[in-house]
Amino acid sequence: MSLFGSTPGFATGGTSMFGSTTTDNHNPMKDIEVTSPPDDSISCLAFSPPTLPGNFLIAGSWANDVRCWEVQDNGQTIPKAQQMHTGPVLDACWSDDGSKVFTASCDKTAKMWDLNSNQAIQIAQHDAPVKTIHWIKAPNYSCVMTGSWDKTLKFWDTRSPTPMMTLQLPERCYCADVVHPMAAVATAERGLIVYQLENQPSEFRRIESPLKHQHRCVAIFKDKVNKPTGFALGSIEGRVAIHYINPPNPAKDNFTFKCHRSNGTNTSAPQDIYAVNGIAFHPVHGTLATVGSDGRFSFWDKDARTKLKTSEQLDQPISACCFNHNGNIFAYASSYDWSKGHEFYNPQKKNYIFLRNAAEELKPRNKK
Amino acid sequence: MGRKKKKQLKPWCWYCNRDFDDEKILIQHQKAKHFKCHICHKKLYTGPGLAIHCMQVHKETIDAVPNAIPGRTDIELEIYGMEGIPEKDMEERRRLLEQKTQESQKKKQQDDSDEYEDDESAASTSFQPQQVQPQQGYIPPMAQPGLPPVPGAPGMPPGIPPLMAGVPPMMPGMPPVMPGMPPGMMPMGGMMPPGPGIPPLMPGMPPGRSGLLNSCYGMPPPVGPRPGMPPMTQAQPVTAPGILNRPPAPAAAAPTPQPPVTKPLFPSAGQAAAAVPGPVGTDFKPLNATPATTTEPPKPTFPAYTQSTASTTSTTNSTAAKPATSITSKPATLTTTSATSKLIHPDEDISLEERRAQLPKYQRNLPRPGQASLGNPPVGPIGGMMPPQPGIPPQQQGMRPPMPPHGQYGAHHQGMPGYLPGAMPPYGQGPPMVPPYQSGPPRPPMGMRPPVMSQGGRY
Repeated sequence: MSLFGSTPGFATGGTSMFGSTTTDNHNPMKDIEVTSPPDDSISCLAFSPPTLPGNFLIAGSWANDVRCWEVQDNGQTIPKAQQMHTGPVLDACWSDDGSKVFTASCDKTAKMWDLNSNQAIQIAQHDAPVKTIHWIKAPNYSCVMTGSWDKTLKFWDTRSPTPMMTLQLPERCYCADVVHPMAAVATAERGLIVYQLENQPSEFRRIESPLKHQHRCVAIFKDKVNKPTGFALGSIEGRVAIHYINPPNPAKDNFTFKCHRSNGTNTSAPQDIYAVNGIAFHPVHGTLATVGSDGRFSFWDKDARTKLKTSEQLDQPISACCFNHNGNIFAYASSYDWSKGHEFYNPQKKNYIFLRNAAEELKPRNKK
Repeated sequence: MGRKKKKQLKPWCWYCNRDFDDEKILIQHQKAKHFKCHICHKKLYTGPGLAIHCMQVHKETIDAVPNAIPGRTDIELEIYGMEGIPEKDMEERRRLLEQKTQESQKKKQQDDSDEYEDDESAASTSFQPQQVQPQQGYIPPMAQPGLPPVPGAPGMPPGIPPLMAGVPPMMPGMPPVMPGMPPGMMPMGGMMPPGPGIPPLMPGMPPGRSGLLNSCYGMPPPVGPRPGMPPMTQAQPVTAPGILNRPPAPAAAAPTPQPPVTKPLFPSAGQAAAAVPGPVGTDFKPLNATPATTTEPPKPTFPAYTQSTASTTSTTNSTAAKPATSITSKPATLTTTSATSKLIHPDEDISLEERRAQLPKYQRNLPRPGQASLGNPPVGPIGGMMPPQPGIPPQQQGMRPPMPPHGQYGAHHQGMPGYLPGAMPPYGQGPPMVPPYQSGPPRPPMGMRPPVMSQGGRY
């Protein structure tokens, strides 16, 4: 009996390999399928923080819902609860203690979902869809940061309906990431701003984009002493830029690499270039994963500047990805991301979330 | 590779780090690339010469050397060929060359990922023209206040430019007020004895770096074209300007790579926001006191940003080749196809999510004030309808009828806004509604785990 009750016949078992006779390519990597996935495209994935025992996964989708599963060590996924917005959910994140989930939606609001009571209340309001939401935990304050297409970045104390602070963005917020005390926000028209969050959030630097195309996703990485030191920025043009904030030699240390393209060496056919939909850093190894519209995920070692692995091609784009808190699990979502427009949207097509063991494959390559 | 000279084996351009076979060629390169007036294309001999020409002839100021890599854009440095290059940069170059030869011997070729290798060179060359514009935010690492010079600290990639490594050896025994000023200033009539004459020229560094040069520049007579200037620089034990900032003590400690050294990631954080160590209220004002600090979006602590962002955006527009007009009217279009590649992305330059969200299908649920019914009887307050019944596509709100594929919403769980009923009426009706779907038989939450099954969560 599945709690989410979408298509019947979905066992709450773990490794539901379909064993289908048709050669469908929905899971070529033979990874674990999460049960009761959402009914429309998945926009975001997030695992619970280490403060919660076990692993809980939340996923927001274009079906206006955000769902929560427990992921057990044997791979079983158990649907736990669900909350709704009145518009598609674009982003979701956990509080640092794992008791709350914050969700951002096209309905221009953000909500705080208390998992213990399964109640969700609105905590934020924008003038346009809220695209990003992050929890900030600083030594002297805590708040929720929301980025919206209304070109503002707002910071909310969840107890008050007015924001603690509003910062103007040069353009619509497209993606953001927070690793205290740094926040990186990428906007439309290739805008890129870094904020420092100590004492209170303030703009630190506006950076000229290292990429020539629309920004799509950003993820902050840390140095060996666990301090945020730079970020990876992905664009719609199959390219990721690795950018350090204060490198000793920017021309050498910052670089970009191509990814999520077809026909790498085959020059006869024109190369298809796909958008990078998500970037996630392994919390332990510091290596990164990228997922793209081409339906593949890849693992990379940015220090050795090499690719570690590329997956087989799924039959749908991969729209989101994340690691769990200790880096053992890599979750990625297979759903249509609109990269080919409205014509290629098939509402009947199932959406999937896959879980993969990430402990081994993301080990950094030894540098000579 | 020829006889060993003191300066360098092969002539190289200080502005862009390129190697040349001959100093003559190097000078031609500098004149054509770095000292060429962008208005009239006249080739000058030096950076300051170019600046003066533009000022006098075109009434325009230049603040950076064209086509120079960041950190090397100083327009006031008198560099001609290999002359005028600060000693520290010379040393760094020597070390770099040494390292390169070592590395290429030791390192095996990495065979992975054409994709990485391909783009390194492409990226680096593409970076340089972009970074010609002086990004005020980017400060040469040496000169950054508060950034401890500990390149040995873990986390640094190998092959660190020896700029940092070169510093500590120079520190000990260095007279505290060594002319850190760019050596180009030295040959100004040769009048400035290194040492006590200099101190007034050492203001705090990087933001004021040009300030330093300006003040220094004012003193001696302006220098004209200077072929044949005596190469005084080599004799000067010039140090990195940033060293002057730090009292000798921490610099002496610099060479020891200690992991606990925390590099302040945002060294200017202290300037941007006054430190509020105590508990902070909801608007970031501290709860116990009210200092006169600004809580609004930061005033331009980096006033150069307004300039650089303006220039950034204009560069962006030109280099990106996107005719970005106003967002509300026509979205900009992308150049998608070329002979060899095709961008799998809709033509308009709005994000995929924006495109998708415009569909009426995804908009129907946006709450509008006062929309009690859309042809369907409003079943009481929003969310009030359900006795949770799984699998019933709810018809209240009238929003979902045409969404059968997604019909399994079951109970709508509108969390009611939990605060200030009057403040935001996004749900149209009755915000003060108590959320009707309590977690049925509320299971005692086990520790922090979300309830296994809640009434509200059932579908």
